[in-house]
Amino acid sequence: MLELRNVSKRYSGVTAVDHVSFQARAGEVTGYLGPNGSGKSTTMKMITGLIEMSSGEILFNGAPIHRDLIAYKQRMGYVPEEPHLYPHLSGLEYLIMVGQLRNLPEKATAERIDGLLRLLALHGDRHVPISSYSKGMRQKVLLSAALLHNPDLILLDEPFSGLDVATGLVLRSLIQELAARGKVVLFSSHELETVERVCSHVVILHHGKVVADDSIAGLRTLMSLPTLEDIFSQLAVEQDTTAVSRQIADLILA
Amino acid sequence: MNQQQFRVLYREFLFRMVDLEVLSAQGDIKDLLGQFGSILVYFSAMIALGVMFFNPRHMTPKAATATIWSTEHFLISTTMLVMGLFAVLSWDSTFLERRDVLVLAPLPVRPRTIFLAKAAALGAALGLTTAALNALPGITWGTLVFPAPDAGFLGPFRALAAFWFSVLAGAAFVFCSVLAVQGMAGQLPRRWYLRVSPILQIVAFCLILGTYFLEPPLSNPLAFAAPANQARLAWLPSYWFLALFHMLNGSATPGVAAVAVRGAVGLLAAALAAGTSYMLAYLRSLRKIVEEPDIVPGARGGVWLPRFGSSFHTAIVRFSIRTLLRSRQHRVILAFYLGIGFAILILLSRIGEEAHRAHVPAPVISVPLLLGSVLMLAFWVLGTRAVFGLPVELRANWVFRVIPLGGAPECLKAGRRALLVLSVVPLWLIAAAVYLWLWPWRPVVEHLLVLALLGVILCEACLQNFQKLPFTCSYLPGQSRVHMAIFGVWPLIAWTAAGVAWETSALNNPVQYAQMIAVLAAVAVAVRWNASRLAKSDEAHMYFEEETPPILQTLGLRFEPTTRS
Repeated sequence: MLELRNVSKRYSGVTAVDHVSFQARAGEVTGYLGPNGSGKSTTMKMITGLIEMSSGEILFNGAPIHRDLIAYKQRMGYVPEEPHLYPHLSGLEYLIMVGQLRNLPEKATAERIDGLLRLLALHGDRHVPISSYSKGMRQKVLLSAALLHNPDLILLDEPFSGLDVATGLVLRSLIQELAARGKVVLFSSHELETVERVCSHVVILHHGKVVADDSIAGLRTLMSLPTLEDIFSQLAVEQDTTAVSRQIADLILA
Repeated sequence: MNQQQFRVLYREFLFRMVDLEVLSAQGDIKDLLGQFGSILVYFSAMIALGVMFFNPRHMTPKAATATIWSTEHFLISTTMLVMGLFAVLSWDSTFLERRDVLVLAPLPVRPRTIFLAKAAALGAALGLTTAALNALPGITWGTLVFPAPDAGFLGPFRALAAFWFSVLAGAAFVFCSVLAVQGMAGQLPRRWYLRVSPILQIVAFCLILGTYFLEPPLSNPLAFAAPANQARLAWLPSYWFLALFHMLNGSATPGVAAVAVRGAVGLLAAALAAGTSYMLAYLRSLRKIVEEPDIVPGARGGVWLPRFGSSFHTAIVRFSIRTLLRSRQHRVILAFYLGIGFAILILLSRIGEEAHRAHVPAPVISVPLLLGSVLMLAFWVLGTRAVFGLPVELRANWVFRVIPLGGAPECLKAGRRALLVLSVVPLWLIAAAVYLWLWPWRPVVEHLLVLALLGVILCEACLQNFQKLPFTCSYLPGQSRVHMAIFGVWPLIAWTAAGVAWETSALNNPVQYAQMIAVLAAVAVAVRWNASRLAKSDEAHMYFEEETPPILQTLGLRFEPTTRS
């Protein structure tokens, strides 16, 4: 289980994440939602160890992650928000490098990479430099790299970005399948429809604070609203969206 | 043409001559440009002050004339060298990049405006570089020494004008020639252009550097007049512009006019070829950049590389090899270091040839060639270490940060292997092949052992406090103190020469040779131990972002009041 206890992050006086606490359990997919600038990616980066938190504690299976960060990273897979990869390497070279950095057995890793590339329809382009990959292809490389070492904790920051419909459907099922096999999956996305289908539990962040932390069914009952989109709009959208769109149109046409 | 669009684009292109994405978050482009500028101004000041040591009263007229002509030629050819290197190093920024096209194409900006803004930015960079290099010598030498003897009151003004015209013409000739070659290559299909372009860049680099160091000394009136030199003068552009200067200055001697005409024609031809081919290639590439990926298609099959120890070390060394082989920017910077080393090697081999002619019978071992291999090793190791400090794609280094790595000691080991594989091993193999071809096997084996130990020492010395992975850390301008390194080149050559003299005598004396190997081995062990000690210290940690050192250094002193008994 992944647990955040009063985690905060401040950047030169500005609080990006403010006393965030929630749990993501093994066997279920936890959705992590929030509008732009709400602190989702900052939280994700603190969970990966990319940035340090200002205060609070992050625990994985009951132990603080910073107690043995190396052992924790061995058990974590991460798909970042932006598909930044080394453009001069081919997809295959990149995955082999990640396997070597993780100190995985060579032969078994080669077989796993080959299988992942075939299943994600990248095998034909495995020797092509990443610089000529489309965004979706890069996303597939990132996904393969995150799953290569069979992690116990999977962090997905906008994993559907750029994926075609077929791969998106595969990924959606894969997330559920991995959770069903006992993985902890934390999934951040703006696609509420997908989150509603995939996640059993959601955490909604607004201005760096948790404003909802419950199962989707529980939230529906609690707030008497039919969809996750309605719940999200109620909790995290401050603007009257129709009024704003009208004002924009008026501004342009004036 | 829209003036405002032109101004905005001109300023953007001028500051984009250097790739800003390699800079650290604290890095400032002004620091980097300031460092380049300071090197040029330093060089300019040193030459300008040289006028104080020129006293024609203590020289014969012939010697005085030869010194003046040599200085004029030195200034013109050095400006051409700097401009040539500038053109080669900014190879990628002469054309629009893919992101420029993607940003500008949807905007209502005419291709002509973009082209003119880019050309103006290139012209401004050319002018500023030439001015920084020649401003001070132009004033001192140009007004005090260069005027023709019978020029009268207006002589200094005429000499100054002639000097600036010739220097700018020489710089423009080199720049236009490089641009013309690039523009002509741009007429090829884009896929071919992307394949040919890096090869042309390296060839142009070697040609410019080779011409500068290898051109024969012909800068005196007698050499210009000699019929035997006419063919050589016809193929050496720096002498064309020296001749042009003397024509404009009114100090022409027999033979100068014909060479000066060649300069004028050469400049016009280069400018015309550059303008036409560059414009055509520019308009073509605007479309092609969007239509085709900006990358050479990969080979249909991976390139095999051996293992280099543990999985982590193998990953880092392979990553370093692939980066150096595939990144044009890193290759060119390394080529710059290798070019300087190679130029010194050629100079030394020429000195060696002269020495051989003087000795009968010729010595078995050429001391200058021994010295050349050691200096080449030094430049190769330093160059590789320098490019290790420049990142290839900063935003992609997150992968090294989320994966558990072994910390600073492991990072040092990986960096050490990468540096040895990319610098010492290739130099050692080339040296072995060349020396075994030239000399008997025994001194070759002995020298190769010395070379290997020196390689280890240099690598370890370069890796003191190296707590980053090659090509992953951001670059902070102003830390490398390149301008200070100028002071270090000559002592380096002098110390190396003294060391090689010791080695030469040791090669004939087994006891002395054993002593030398013992000393080198002890030094190698000491520097290696120190590098490992620093990597294992409590302060050592891997980093991916260069940071400026704190302005205030704390001494860690504390006041602890003692209790009175």
